[in-house]
Order: sequence, then structure tokens, then C-alpha cells
Amino acid sequence: MNWSSPLPALVLVSAVLAVGTYALAVLDRANGDRVARRRLRPRDAVLQPARAASLLLLTRPTATERPDAQAWALAPALLAAMAAGALATVPLDRGVTVADVDDGIVLFGAAMAIVMVAVYLHGWSANSPLPLLGGYRFIALALSYEMPLALVLIAAALPAQSLSVGAIVESQQGLWNVLRQPLGLPLYLVAGMGLGFWGPLNTSDAPDLAGGTAVEVSGPQRLAWELARRFVVVAVAAMGAAVFLGGWQGPVLPGWAWMALKTLLLLAVVAHLGHRVARVRLERFVVVAWTVLIPLALVDVFVSGALAL
Amino acid sequence: MGIARWLTPLAAGADVPVFTAIGAGGRALADEAALLPGVRLVDSPRAANILLFVGAVTPPLLRPLLGIHDQLPTPRATVWWPGRAVGGGLASALPDLVVGPAGDGDHLRSVFAELLSGERRSEPPALPDQEAAEWRGVGPFGQGGTGMTGGVPYGRPLPSRAPDPDGLELDQLPLHVGPLFPPFPPGLILHIELQGDVVRQATVGDNPFAGATEDLDQDGPPLDTALFVGALTSPTPIGDLEVARARHHLRWAARTLRLHGLESEGLRLLGLARSLAPADRAAVESLAQRIARSRSLAWTTRGVGILGTDDVTGGPVARAAGLAVDARLHDPAYQGLGFSPVVHGAGDARDRLRQRLAEAVQALELAERAGSQLRRPGPPLEGPRGPLGTEDPLPSVALLGLLPRLLAGQEWGDAMTIVASLDLDLEEAAVGQPAPIPA
Amino acid sequence: MSTSLTVDIAFGLFSAATVVAAWLVFRTDSMVRAAYWLLASFAGVGAVMVLLHARFLGLVLVLMMAGEMTIMAVFMVMFMMNPAGLNPMTMVHQHRTAKIAGVVAFAGLALVGLVADFPDRPADRGRDPTADLGRELLGDSMLIFETAGVTLLASMIGALALASKRGRYGDAEEGSAPPPLEPVAGPRTGADTVTEPEAEADSGEHAGMSHG
Repeated sequence: MNWSSPLPALVLVSAVLAVGTYALAVLDRANGDRVARRRLRPRDAVLQPARAASLLLLTRPTATERPDAQAWALAPALLAAMAAGALATVPLDRGVTVADVDDGIVLFGAAMAIVMVAVYLHGWSANSPLPLLGGYRFIALALSYEMPLALVLIAAALPAQSLSVGAIVESQQGLWNVLRQPLGLPLYLVAGMGLGFWGPLNTSDAPDLAGGTAVEVSGPQRLAWELARRFVVVAVAAMGAAVFLGGWQGPVLPGWAWMALKTLLLLAVVAHLGHRVARVRLERFVVVAWTVLIPLALVDVFVSGALAL
Repeated sequence: MGIARWLTPLAAGADVPVFTAIGAGGRALADEAALLPGVRLVDSPRAANILLFVGAVTPPLLRPLLGIHDQLPTPRATVWWPGRAVGGGLASALPDLVVGPAGDGDHLRSVFAELLSGERRSEPPALPDQEAAEWRGVGPFGQGGTGMTGGVPYGRPLPSRAPDPDGLELDQLPLHVGPLFPPFPPGLILHIELQGDVVRQATVGDNPFAGATEDLDQDGPPLDTALFVGALTSPTPIGDLEVARARHHLRWAARTLRLHGLESEGLRLLGLARSLAPADRAAVESLAQRIARSRSLAWTTRGVGILGTDDVTGGPVARAAGLAVDARLHDPAYQGLGFSPVVHGAGDARDRLRQRLAEAVQALELAERAGSQLRRPGPPLEGPRGPLGTEDPLPSVALLGLLPRLLAGQEWGDAMTIVASLDLDLEEAAVGQPAPIPA
Repeated sequence: MSTSLTVDIAFGLFSAATVVAAWLVFRTDSMVRAAYWLLASFAGVGAVMVLLHARFLGLVLVLMMAGEMTIMAVFMVMFMMNPAGLNPMTMVHQHRTAKIAGVVAFAGLALVGLVADFPDRPADRGRDPTADLGRELLGDSMLIFETAGVTLLASMIGALALASKRGRYGDAEEGSAPPPLEPVAGPRTGADTVTEPEAEADSGEHAGMSHG
């Protein structure tokens, strides 16, 4: 089957995003309940995200005083589209990549750069102070995420001598990048959690802003936003599995199963960190990002480059 | 409507999204609401279907409460756990108000189920839906007024300018936060001048509980420190006092953890605090140690809101700053118990968290040792926020006075950390204060 | 439908979208919308570049512009006397100058388009434009690009130094309230690092401004 033609591509990306997001929601809930020592029947734990989503669908949207309505509606759609675009570059099985382009890593980076636009628009367009602060917070941190993300992905591309994600997966035959470039995956996960404003890096939708950019949204609009940001986390996890954990490579099981397992592993790590690590303080995080994370990412690039030569 | 029929039964099983607004004497009960099974507390009224108002409504709280009510999306319902006094005009402003048995999660969920099934009508807005200021824009976009920015389309003045920390003249965005802002203690109103997300100036607004404490009840002030206030005049078991102290600190820590994005850990603490007994010391101690050792939490709170020994006089805030003051040192009841105050030195938000966690563990130790010993009535008594029954103003009054200086120049996140770290109680601050003269 | 026809149609659509988005930059009332219409316009250019087989350049253009337009929006909001940029404001000023500049620029470009003798060198289909770009950047044009790169880096470091936490009122981490107009009794974070004459000069300046 040709997964690059429009209809199968759409179906495949939507299905992966839907399954991944649901898995993330269940994992998140399970981790939260474990930390809080709350017991929930497994059936309820599995159904809870669907129930919450249907409640949001039944709830009416609200409006603020003179919002920028078009931009407000655009923000979640843009975020979701960028997540889908980013996921499209990831090989989901041997030879199954929706957007199998030579510059897959660059396409992924461009999609992640537009995440910043979507989050800022979401904060801006509500015409309300707390969302606006949330939007500015994201911009303040966005460069601190984008730089390490771009650098570690470039480092991963060096041994493959290609910007294609498929070639990067192939290059990990024998040795996964997580071992070959031990700095890569941790840095990538920090940046990826930031781009999905998840857990400790959820500064833009944080409780100290009473929900940040999402303060003013309700009903389906809130559902769209919450889904879109989880799409970003899923896309980041899938790319992480492909670039650092060997993608679809693995014994016995078929390629797609390995890819699913590795993505789920990263999602579980992200869900766990979300409940165990306190939210960062903006200023300190920016300082650490520029004095520790980016230099480490540069070291990663230099060492990987030297080894690849 | 076909889809709605499919979704309704599914949605009925969802955790009820509840936004809590806390009035006089409602804080402890609101903390309990977080533990109800099948209930999820949300940060914004826009995310809730049930507005849960806990405690008594004082006249200055009514208008903000109705404003919050109208922000809830439909279908919506308001449940009131009044505590002791029913009144304050809430029932007349919201005809569909449900006065519920306090702390009853089943009742809350049944209101939600009725709302979804359509048996209960969704509440209409309580206030007229109109813009706060008249639109005076000229031209298609309103930018046709005078000047580059198109005049004043809302009739609101442009922001004043003020020098920022780098010496630039920047616009200030005035913002009034409170009295029902979730990260704040109930009733706290701050008038903030923002430059970007830096608080240039913050002033404390009128206390909505001022003058209300006498009207509201006959059994003494509705403070969460009621047990301690009572101990000033009647004999009280030391064990009870110390368990209440530990519970107070754990609840405060749970709220603080939620603010820092550790809601699940906070729920664990709340669960421990609910049925706290001296025998829980080991469980509390291990959890408290883990939280106090958390690197990420230390990283966000270290160096934030530093208070020196000159700024503070008593209570955990003073002990976190390194001052070994505690009314229990001179309290004859504690003489045989081997009490010596826990002290930290940095005086920042991190030490205030560690201080209260350590004091909670210590309080449980003391409770264990004291058994059923009674404390003879009389001042001074060390309350959870500081000494009670002394000549000095109550602890919250002094702490509230520190806010403008502590908040000036802080980023928004740090400002919220500081407000939380002081453990303010506006009702305590209002004791003895006269009601504001209505404008 | 043949591939080349699809590409031609896509080229037309993206070019039209680019022009329309660029026009909308000046038809909106909001600084943020203006910045993001410009981004949409650049994204259209990026798409056209992808169609022209300069995929890497097209994607990098979008990647860079997403950040740059956002930063431009933030700076506009910061520098305009407009409460957090939330008031509507017109994006068109100095109409006469703008018209003259627009006509002159269009005429110039049109002239170039008509007069210039464009080279006709069809590229080899097998060549990889990304690899060619890399060789160019680290080959013949290395000196130019490295000079530009180092200059930019130096100016960025300079800007960071200017905006660093060691501000006019001392270390930003010690509390960043400027000195008050009137002396305040009691401890005051941050102000203690300011020397006395400076603080006086400041208060004089502010007092003067409040009268003016």
C-alpha cells in the first residue's frame, strides 16, 4: 500500500495520533493516581479520557470581550496540524513513512517552530491578561527548546549522513543512537516536553496562571486545544523512538509493533515526569538552557561529527 | 442531537469538573472537595460545569462570585456548601442555587447527572452580558481615532508608563486579581501593575472579610485555626492541638504543591491530612522528606521571596528565616515534652516549605509524646501561623503587610510562589477590622 | 493529471496566497495579525521554493520565519504605546511616502524582469540541492558566510551583555525595583547596590518628568 497518497496518509496519521493521545491520557491518569494513592478500577481508568472528552463536547463554548475570534479558532487547528505534519515524517514501519522526504528532520523542525506561533496566538487572541502572559511565557522559553532540539537531531543525522529520518533509523542497525549519543535522548525529551508544554515545562498553561493560554476556553474549543498539545507530545515521542531508539528495528516482533512499544515507552516516561517533577522557574530554566543544555547539545554534535568522520 | 444522545451517557461517567470558590470559613472543606472520588478540581471556571461555593458569602464577595458564575460554560450549576450561615444575597441572585450537604460528593455528582440528563436546567447568567466599557472606536477596526494607536476605543485610558528594572520607560498593565483567584488564599485582592510579566507594584485591596466575622457566626470566628483560638480560653489536649497544627501545615503544603505542578503529590498529602493521627508520623515523615529533598521543587523555590530576621517576628515564616522563636518554648504545657523549635536559615520560599513540613512531623511527634495531657488555657499560644493571644497583631496581619515589598520586581510565577509561601489567611487578618465603608 | 501540471497549479496557488497574505498585512488592525500574515506570506514563498526542488531552503525559511515573525510581533507590542497590544491600531502610516516607495520599487523590479537576460541553465536532475548548498557554504563562499556569522554572533553576545541581569539598578536577582522617588526607611532589596549620587540623579530625573 502506498502510504504517501493522500487518503491512506490522512487515515494513518490520524489513527496514530488518536491511539497515541489516548494512551498518553491513560498513562497520565494512571501515574497521577499512583502518586496520589488513589484507586480507580481499570475499566474506569481506561474509559476516563473518553468520558472527559464527551463532556467537553457537550459543553457550550464561551466567548470573551472582543476576542480575535479567527486566530482563537486557528490556534488549536494549527497546533494539531503541525503535530500531524511532524508525525508524518516519522517512519512507522520498514518503508512506511507518510512524508518520506530527504529533509525529514528539517520538516519536523519547521513544524515544531510553528508550535510557538500556535501557542502564542492561543494566548493572544482571547483578549485576556492571563492567557496573554501564558503566550509570552512560551515565547520566552521557545528558543531554549528549539535550539537543543535542532542540535540533537542534527547530531543524530550525522552518522546517517542524511537528513532523512528513514536513513537515520537505518543507520542505527547494530547500535541505537541512545547508546551511541547518550546526550541526545535526554536533551531531546526536555525540549520535546517543552514544545508540548507538558509537566515540569508546562509554563504557558500553568496553574499559577490559572490555566494560562487555556484560561478562557471551554467546551469543544478546550477539547481541541488539549488534544492538540497531546498530539505534539505524541509526535515528539514517535520521532524520539525513531531517531534514538532504533525506530522499527527489533527482533521477533514486526516493525510497527516495535515502533509502538518504543513510542509508548517514551510516553510513559513523559507521563511519569509530569507527576514527579515540579514546574520549572522560567528565569532559571532559561539560564540552564543556554549555559548547560545548548552547550551539551553542541558537544553532542561535535562528538557525533568526529565519530562519523 | 443524535450525537448528543450518544455522548450523554458517556459524559455522565466523567469526573465532575468543579471550580471551587471559597468564602468565609470554607477553606478546609474546599480542601476536602479535592479528595472526593469522581470529582476533579479545575483551575479555571471556563473548564468547570459545577461552581462549588464553600463557606459564607460576605457582601464584597457577592459580585466577584456572580462574575465567576457567569464565566462557567453551560450546562452549569452552582452548589453551595454554606458551612454555618446562609445569607448574603447569594440565593436571591442565583434562583437555581443548590444548597448542598457540605462535603457530600454523591450529592455533587447527582446534581451533575441531573444537569447532563436535562432534569435540571442550566443556570442563566446572573449579571447582564454587556461590555465593561462602551466601544468608542472609529472606522472599520476602531483604529480611526487620534494618534498612532487609534485613540481609546474602549474609553479606557492608555497605560501609564514607569521605569522598568533596566531603566527603560515601559507601559504598565493594571490588573486586579482576586478575591477568588485560585492560586491566592481566599479573599486576597491584589492590585498589580504589570510590565510584561514582572510585577512592578502590588497593593493589597480591601479585605472582603473585614467586619464580617462578627455577623457571620455566634460560635467564635470561623478561622481554620479555631481550635487554637479556643485553646486560649479553655483547656485543650496538647495532642489535639499538635495534630491540628500538622494537618494545617500538610494542607498548606498540598496547595503549594498543586501550584508548582505537583497536584498528585498534593492529593497524597491531603489524603494523609484528612484522617491524621499521631500514628501516621512515619508515613508523613517519609513523604515530607521526599518533598523536602525534591531537587526540582528546590530549584523553583530557592531564593524566591527572601525574608530576613528583621522582617518577621514569629511563626513558621520567622523560623524559616532562622529566628528561633516559638511560644511553645515558654509554654509550661510543653516543658516535659522535649520541645525545641525547628529552624531553617535562608528565609526563602523553599525554606518555608521545608519548615512547615518539618514542623508537621515534629507536631505529630509531640502529639504522640503528649498523649492526653491537657494544656491549661491562657496566652501566648503558638498557632500554625504564629503566636496567638499576644499584644502583637495576628500573624496574617503582619505577613499581609510584607506583600507589597516582597512582590515588587518579581516575575508573575515568583510572585505566586511568594504569596503561597506566606500562608496568609484573610479572615484572620480581618479579625477586629471594621467593615469598609461602602462606596 | 501529470505531475508537472499539478506542480504548475500548486505554484500558482501558493504564489497567489503569498501575494494575498502580504496584502493582508496592511489590511489588519492588529500588530500580531500583521506579523502572522507576513509569516503566512513567507510560508507561501517557502512552499514555492519546495516546489522548485529547493526543499531544504524552503523548510528552513519557514522554520526561521516562524520564530522571527513571533519575535517581531513581541517587539512591536513592546514598543507601541498600546496596552499589551490589545487595542486595535492601523498598520498604514505615511501614506504618500509609502505610495511613492511602493510604485518605485514595483517599477524597478518590473524593469529588471523585463530587461534582464535571465540565464537558462537547466539543472541536472540527479543533483542534490542540499548537498550543493553545503559545499557552497563551506567552499567558495565560506569566507563571506563565516564573516557574516561571526559578526552576527558578536552582535548577539553584545546585545545579551547589554540586556544582562546586571542592570542599572544592580543585580536583577536581588529584586528589581528601581529606587523610589522618596527615601524609604527599612531594608529594600536591590537598592543597596546603587551608589548614592546615582540614586539622587535618578529621583531628580523622575521628579522632573512627572512635572513635565
